[in-house]
Amino acid sequence: MQASLPKSAPGSSASDSAAVMHFATTESCLDINDFSLAYAGVPALQHLSLQVPRHRVTAFIGPSGCGKSTLLRAINRLHDLNESVTLSGNIQLEGRDIHAPQLNVAELRRRVGMVFQNPNPFPMSIYENVAFGLRLQGRMPKRKRDDTVEWALQSAALWEEVKDRLYRSAWTLSGGQQQRLVIARTLAVRPDVLLLDEPASALDPISTLKIEELIRNLKSQLTLVLVTHNMQQAARVSDYTAFLQGGELVEYGPTDSVFTNPRLQRTENYITGRMA
Amino acid sequence: MIQRLAKNRDEAWPWLSAASVALSLLMLAALMSLLVVRGLGHFWPAPIEEVTLADGQVIAGHAVREAPLPDRPGHERLYYTANRDLDGALWQWVALDAIQTRSTPADLVLLDRASWGDFVGRLVAVVTPNERLEGEAAWQALQQHLNQRNAVANGAPSSAASGDSHVPGDTYLPGDTYLIVESVEGRRRQQPLHDIHRAQRPNAMSMGENIQTWGGAVWRFLSQGPRAANTGGGVWPAIFGTVLMVLLMSLLVTPFGVLAAIYLNEIAHQGRLTRLVRIGVRNLAGVPSIVYGVFGLGVFVYGIGGSLDEWFFSDTLPSPTFGTGGLLWASLTLALLTLPVVIVATEEGLARIPDAQREGALALGATRLEMLTRIVLPMAAPAMLTGVILAVARAAGEVAPLMLVGVAKLAPQMPLDGEFPYLHLERKFMHLGYHIFDTAFHGEDVQAALPLVYATALLLVLIVLVLNLTAIFLRHHLRRERGN
Amino acid sequence: MTPSPDTLNQRLRLARDRLATGLITAGGIGVLLAVLAIAVFLLWETLPLLRLGDTLALAKLTPLAWGTLKAAFYALLFAVPLALGAAMYSALFMSTRLRHRLKPTLEMMEAIPGVVVGFIAGLIIAPWVERHLAGTLLLVIGLPLSALLVGVAWHHLGTRLQRTLPLSWAGLWLVPWFVLMIVLIFWVTPQLEQYLPEGDLRRFLDKQWGIDYATRNAMIVGVAMGFAVIPSIYALAEDALADVPKSLLEGAQALGATRWQALWKVALPTAGPGLFSAVMIGAGRAVGETMIVLMASGNTALFSASPFEGMRSISAAIAIELPEAAPDSLTYHLLILAALALFVFTFLVNTLAEAVRQRLRRRYRRLEGHP
Repeated sequence: MQASLPKSAPGSSASDSAAVMHFATTESCLDINDFSLAYAGVPALQHLSLQVPRHRVTAFIGPSGCGKSTLLRAINRLHDLNESVTLSGNIQLEGRDIHAPQLNVAELRRRVGMVFQNPNPFPMSIYENVAFGLRLQGRMPKRKRDDTVEWALQSAALWEEVKDRLYRSAWTLSGGQQQRLVIARTLAVRPDVLLLDEPASALDPISTLKIEELIRNLKSQLTLVLVTHNMQQAARVSDYTAFLQGGELVEYGPTDSVFTNPRLQRTENYITGRMA
Repeated sequence: MIQRLAKNRDEAWPWLSAASVALSLLMLAALMSLLVVRGLGHFWPAPIEEVTLADGQVIAGHAVREAPLPDRPGHERLYYTANRDLDGALWQWVALDAIQTRSTPADLVLLDRASWGDFVGRLVAVVTPNERLEGEAAWQALQQHLNQRNAVANGAPSSAASGDSHVPGDTYLPGDTYLIVESVEGRRRQQPLHDIHRAQRPNAMSMGENIQTWGGAVWRFLSQGPRAANTGGGVWPAIFGTVLMVLLMSLLVTPFGVLAAIYLNEIAHQGRLTRLVRIGVRNLAGVPSIVYGVFGLGVFVYGIGGSLDEWFFSDTLPSPTFGTGGLLWASLTLALLTLPVVIVATEEGLARIPDAQREGALALGATRLEMLTRIVLPMAAPAMLTGVILAVARAAGEVAPLMLVGVAKLAPQMPLDGEFPYLHLERKFMHLGYHIFDTAFHGEDVQAALPLVYATALLLVLIVLVLNLTAIFLRHHLRRERGN
Repeated sequence: MTPSPDTLNQRLRLARDRLATGLITAGGIGVLLAVLAIAVFLLWETLPLLRLGDTLALAKLTPLAWGTLKAAFYALLFAVPLALGAAMYSALFMSTRLRHRLKPTLEMMEAIPGVVVGFIAGLIIAPWVERHLAGTLLLVIGLPLSALLVGVAWHHLGTRLQRTLPLSWAGLWLVPWFVLMIVLIFWVTPQLEQYLPEGDLRRFLDKQWGIDYATRNAMIVGVAMGFAVIPSIYALAEDALADVPKSLLEGAQALGATRWQALWKVALPTAGPGLFSAVMIGAGRAVGETMIVLMASGNTALFSASPFEGMRSISAAIAIELPEAAPDSLTYHLLILAALALFVFTFLVNTLAEAVRQRLRRRYRRLEGHP
């Protein structure tokens, strides 16, 4: 049984990965090839092909129902829970098909973290929320776990706010803090890719700014994919932008060019219509 | 006036609907207070009246109730006169207009005896091999004898017999001592001391003594076995049987109910079939309990029990071991009966957990088992608990199926004892609900058993209500917590 | 870039997950099959009837079926008006505070074991009603009339009294009023009964119309079993009425309808299917209830519709006769057929009620503007 994905950088390990991640690269991290998906026979994604570059922020934009969230969930194989879904084509993470039968889904999901629209902290303490994924990976000395929790909370810019109440219920946090806690929880298991599904749409403007700043800071560590319906947000934080409409990829390129000089009229209409 | 009524009709009708609520509440309150008053009141030491009738007859006893005379206007009163050995009856109806005098003399004695039931009358003398005591001294001696015997029975050292005691010698020999008692009409009887459980003078007791006696009587009701064909004594074996059966049942129903709910809600393909199964399970909760009893009798008792007997207990055949109703089959039947309750409650709890929690766990790399055990089940635990408590409450009050699969009016042996293998799953057991039915409808003297039936009914209702209140409170608490 | 730290651990977790999923699936399906086995068993055990029985044997069951339906009918006759009335009142007129208290109270009423209700009905109420038949019958007319009287009189009270005795709390403060009325009625009726030629209603009924009166009879069973099914009918009916979109009621009242008219013209038609399914659930319970019928009915297998005579129901017959019937005898299989009939009837009634409820829920969603 092939349980793990290939190593991308020889010699890197969970403990020193943060340090290794500083080299700049535009290599592709996720390859989506001719990918289609249908719910109970109704197509939601049609023949999508695109590459998501490593250590960059890629934004998926498009009108409601265009399939951008569906694509994001497909990368995490969350559609496994729904049996009426049919797929074709493939998605490759670091050159490995994520739908390969011998692949360990749990391990895939550890490597591809996901943050949802509404913050979903577990009904336990702040500390336990962050340690949840760590505990799944097997035994770990308490010291090391404490350190990892602190590191994750610091990476999510939440440490200063919660360090005195780590053992209070996570549900006592504000919405913005909860969302950063969810990000910290995801970071703690050291994923390669972080998928963000409209992470700020349920938050107030100040919390939104904090999340955006966090996203920009995190790209030195991992690859981020952001789904958003907020054009300014996509323009502010992303390096690459993909515009989806009706389940099809319309335009994909560096954010600057997509926003200032779209190749297609449909893209321009959407962007200007929304931005006006 | 009629026109007025018609005009006010729209304003008057709502009052009729309010009346429905008031009437329902009134019925509930009446039922509960009837049970409480009669159930607890029976243990209160009622005064003994000495009544002289117009024809010169003298009787003594507790006044029980009054009813209109069957043949002429007026009322009659029922007295509990005890003394079955003297009168041949425990009760006597007396027409009110035939009563000449009523009094409550302080020296009337109520003896609780092992045979012939209670005695009401006067204590004439206590006779020991060495001496004969009369009057107040006799009463003192009787009390001392009884206290000492209780102390011996409780394992206390018998050195209580000190110098100033009227009890001769150091060893206690109950057979040597007897009482001479006299009914209010003057008929005498010798009464061996060892035959007497308790002696009271209800008319001479103070409030404190009354309360003490009441507490003792309630305690004996809860802790002793039945006597005199279920018309006396307590219901301890029935309490024990009910609790043990319900415990076994919850041990069976909880894992299976939760398993089925998890399968239905978390693993099964959510298609048309699952929806049908879900509705089916829900509707099984409405299937009459007697049908489950039939199933238990046919499948568990005759089917499985019969086969077990053939394989393992063939030496005792044709007398059945497992091939007849027993504790195990009763628990299994009730487990099946309450399965829908647990499944529905657990499923409701599972459905109320947002999918975001499940996806959050999966997105962190949890397997489905880890997601279930670490996030979903802990969150659904209060709902499961609610379901199990509701199941227990339902099972505790259910009688009809038990009549088919193993309840007994009087079980000679407890299903749990010191004899290997300690828990005897094949034995019949007593049950509070069946005890009510049997004593009230198949007893020899319903009038005598009625107070105990009231007390048993009150006990059963209290058990069931406390369980239900716990479930209601838990669910309410749960909803509020989720709401925040 | 991060390698999986511990492949063995990964494999173990995966294997555990697969094993557990398999076990849960097997267990879940097993439990559901066990539940299904009830129907299969009942069917299987009635098959020998084809061999043993003839049509005459089935005739043994007809009085039992009659008795069951009769008991259920009288129970519903008593319970439906009370439960639906209570549901209307608590959904539309009652104060919210009282309502939050009332629901758990009635839930507790549902929890009272049938054997206790049966005991009280069979041993306490039945002999008492036999002695006070006229008064009891008078209650049926007297209590509703007295409530209407209160309603009419209330409008002539001063504002201060109206405020201390509001309609929204009437469910509570009518209780002492009823106690008063009951005492009054039982005090008055013996005086009235004296004007009957026989001096007693029971003898009058017997002599004039030849109506027999059994101590334990359908009326007693109706009241006792009605008491037991009121809570379940109430709970479902109240849910249906309380879920009627507020906009509908407000719309009707905005057009000048009184609250009672809004209830009658708007809420009841909208919630009708819900009320129907509530009554069906109540019927299902009444048909299957065993202990109350067993203890309060006299258990005589009669063909009589009279409320003053007893009956024997299917469930009671099973409880009494099945333990004594030898397995494989005709009686045994006949009783199992009776149990099958109970099972099928209650299952169908419940399914019907559930289907109606589902449709109603969809209708509410549409009415509230969620397609």
